[in-house]
Amino acid sequence: MATLNAGTVLTPEERLARRRLILRDAASLLTLFLITVVIFLLTLLLYRSFENHRQTLGLRWKARGEAALQAGNPVQAIDALRSALAYTPDRQTEIELAMALAQAGKTVEATAYFNTLLESAPGDGVINLQLARLAAKKGDEPLAIHRYQAALDGTWEGNGYDRRREVRLELVNYLLSRKEYNSARTQLLIAASNAPDDPQIKDQIAATMEKAQDPTDALSLYRAVSARRDAPLAAFEGAGRTAFNLGLYRVANAYLSRALSHPGAAALPPAERAADQYMVDTASHILLLYPDLNLPARSRAERILYIRKVARDRLSACTTSNPAAAPKLSAIVSRWDQIPSVLTVPQLEQQPDLENSILQLAWDTETGTVQYCGPPSGDDALLLRIAQNPGAVEQE
Amino acid sequence: MPDFPTPFTSAPAAAGDRIAAAGTVPPEVAVAGPLRPEPPQRSPLAATLDRIAPTRDERLFLVLSIFIGILSGLLVVAFRIAIEWIQILTLGSAPHPGQFRLLIVPGIAGLVVAALVVWFFPAARGSGVNQTKAALYVYDGYISFRTVIGKFITSAIALGSGHSLGPEDPSLQIGAGVASIIARNLRLSRRRLRMFAPIGAAAGLAAAFNAPISAILFVIEEVIGSWSAAVLGSLVLAAVSSVVVVRLFMGTEPIFRIPSIELRDPRELMAYAVLGLFGGLLAPVFSATLGFLRPRLRAMPRWSHFAQPAIAGLMVGAIGYFGFPQVMGVGYDVIDQALHAQFIWQVLIALTFLKLLATTVSFSSGTPGGMFAPTLFIGAMLGGAVGAFEQHFFPHLTGTVGAYSLVGMGVLFAGFLRVPLTSVFMVLEISGNYSIIIPVILANTIAFLISRSLQPVGIFEVFTRQDGLDLPSMEELREESVLHIEDAIQSLNVPIVRDSDSIQSVNEAMAREHATACLVRLGDGSWYALSAEELTSASATLTPEALVHRALKPDRTPHLFPDLPLDAALHYFPRWPVLPIMNRASRETLEGILTLDDVLRCYRGGA
Repeated sequence: MATLNAGTVLTPEERLARRRLILRDAASLLTLFLITVVIFLLTLLLYRSFENHRQTLGLRWKARGEAALQAGNPVQAIDALRSALAYTPDRQTEIELAMALAQAGKTVEATAYFNTLLESAPGDGVINLQLARLAAKKGDEPLAIHRYQAALDGTWEGNGYDRRREVRLELVNYLLSRKEYNSARTQLLIAASNAPDDPQIKDQIAATMEKAQDPTDALSLYRAVSARRDAPLAAFEGAGRTAFNLGLYRVANAYLSRALSHPGAAALPPAERAADQYMVDTASHILLLYPDLNLPARSRAERILYIRKVARDRLSACTTSNPAAAPKLSAIVSRWDQIPSVLTVPQLEQQPDLENSILQLAWDTETGTVQYCGPPSGDDALLLRIAQNPGAVEQE
Repeated sequence: MPDFPTPFTSAPAAAGDRIAAAGTVPPEVAVAGPLRPEPPQRSPLAATLDRIAPTRDERLFLVLSIFIGILSGLLVVAFRIAIEWIQILTLGSAPHPGQFRLLIVPGIAGLVVAALVVWFFPAARGSGVNQTKAALYVYDGYISFRTVIGKFITSAIALGSGHSLGPEDPSLQIGAGVASIIARNLRLSRRRLRMFAPIGAAAGLAAAFNAPISAILFVIEEVIGSWSAAVLGSLVLAAVSSVVVVRLFMGTEPIFRIPSIELRDPRELMAYAVLGLFGGLLAPVFSATLGFLRPRLRAMPRWSHFAQPAIAGLMVGAIGYFGFPQVMGVGYDVIDQALHAQFIWQVLIALTFLKLLATTVSFSSGTPGGMFAPTLFIGAMLGGAVGAFEQHFFPHLTGTVGAYSLVGMGVLFAGFLRVPLTSVFMVLEISGNYSIIIPVILANTIAFLISRSLQPVGIFEVFTRQDGLDLPSMEELREESVLHIEDAIQSLNVPIVRDSDSIQSVNEAMAREHATACLVRLGDGSWYALSAEELTSASATLTPEALVHRALKPDRTPHLFPDLPLDAALHYFPRWPVLPIMNRASRETLEGILTLDDVLRCYRGGA
């Protein structure tokens, strides 16, 4: 390593000394190099050994943390996962720790943690979902929706389709909790169109559509599922229920009857089964009461005459029991006065216009009296149901 | 033929070895002033080396810097592993309040460490920074092998068992010691030998922080005080080598995982200024507490030196046992949690003051370990507390709590350790986030200025004085006002002539103004200060009509400018009676003149 000085004339002794110096420096550096190698190997040995120990500890604490998290004990999970992270820093553990913090109600800490994780992976679906939940918990609706959307657009490990659908349904439920029905319905339509051919999932989406006040789309989905050979009981129930609520009593009657005759119906909770039975009975009575255009003229006239009687009795009873309602219902009373007081079936058969007038007046009577005399019972209640959407009763 | 030492045999014990082993230094061996120049007396061996291999030192200096970096990095890796392993073995893999071992382990470890320090490694006690400075300025770069081993073992036991100290200071000293051992086995010149200690220190600190720039800056700012290209080159090589080694083992991740941080609104700077204010107030408190307790504990009887680390350990253990195990040990993981806003502000305040207390008793008791990590810890907690408090009461004003913790680390670093430049770069380096620079600069500067005004003497200076040393204070040197030529310059009161003038005319001009010298402007733009004696001598041999140019000697007056240090002019006076002070834009234009009397008057304060 000693550097030659070309410009200096050296004596033979000095040249010899310089050679010795070069040799000694080279030997020194070689020795230093060997010492470095030895210390490197020793450090490597120590490091490997310690790393193995750390790995063992990290895995042990991680397992404890995950177990605590699954057991619903986030506080214990936090301590364990923190210890795990101290030994084996790992992204999954960090996410679990942040989730534990969130579950333990440490929203600020969890948000900060997730934000840090997000920085290194902005498109991570899991982290965006967790941040969405935290934002939802804090009541920051725009941020929550933004994060849910980022989670939907983000990357997911494993089956991304399933995870995105779950996130979308979670977003829908969040929107429903905020009474954002339109946005929820939009998301549900996307979820329905992307849903796999799985009756359970479609049933779940249809049920959410019901909650989103979208029974029409829910019914379509239920009916689609019901058309399958292996259609689940829930699909029949859902189709019957939504049809019933839409006033499609023939449809409701058909689906609910199939539901009650489904092998799984026996296992239904009694209350649910009773509700189904009530809807079937109601729909059946309505269908017996409703003067369908496809009925023979005589039968239809008979039903109309019966409806006329029920409605007039309801009006009379209402004005009697609640005299204050009489002035408000006077328009309906006067319309009834214009209807011939005595009508026979043959007479009515000959006057389709009169039939329609009587029916319209009956519907108006039922909807009018309910405002002043409370909900009706018996056939009046059935007529009121028909009055909500008379044209739907017999729709298929 | 010179006799060279066998490589890597033990060097003869220098005076410094005995002094270092004793742990104190007699004042008479202390030397003030940064980087003494090479003494003029050279040994025959050095003279021979200079003759046969004049560039040997310079080349070896750079090559050895790499070896020093690598070895320091390896030792720091081993040191960190040792600390962690001891911690797992003694405190368990997940210490938490209520564990009895938290209460007793630091105390027992304190006894062990005290015995080791008193009986075997007395030089392991104390600040590694100051010991490195002492090696540089007092002991010709000498740090004994025993000191390195002692620092490694005792610090690892102390930190691993929960004493509230940091590993950076010992790492720095281990690096400096490694450098010293290597350098003195290669028979380098004394000047080179001295410089190896700070180079090793930079390598050790860089490895400990995983931050080479901060380490280099710290060594320049606090240890060396100045730098040349060669020193900087070696510092960089050593620091980078050590960091490469550490990253090879520990990975490239910084020691803290920094959350997302950004300056959202310039108004937030007010909040950071408040943090700087608090940091500036807390730093002198920390400094004064240490400055008060440390000498008193050291002055106690020798037998008590065994008990002091044990009692300090018991106190720290009690803090951990009764609810705040976060203050035990190095605390990087706790800083990390604070950076992620995982503490409420009340807890952060409690941790701030408990850590301050724990560190004060640990350090003052003579337990080996450093102040860097506790400073960062306290700063992070203080920053987090201020940030969380401000965020709670002024949510529209502040950013994330993590940002305040990060800035808080720099704030206390600047205020307590008095290294403002290092503090800024350290935050930038460990955060890898440039957007935080404005808050960091603002808060650090405020903390530094407030701390300086409240506690004029920095903490390293305090320790130096307590240890009976008189090492140069880099802070004082930076603040020292240097006299410049412009402070002594006088207006032109001597005749100015041209070299084409005759000797007679120059004589007349000088006689007219009763001057003892005149300034001769030469045709090439240079100047010559001609004394009356020179002129008289010339007149004796030349005719009066001869040009004055013939009376001038070949040399010319130096180029001096008003902004140069006054020292620069001093050594020209034996030759020149008066010195022309030139304008930097035009050397033919004179700003004034300078005489020896002017310079001396200025030094006496009469200018």
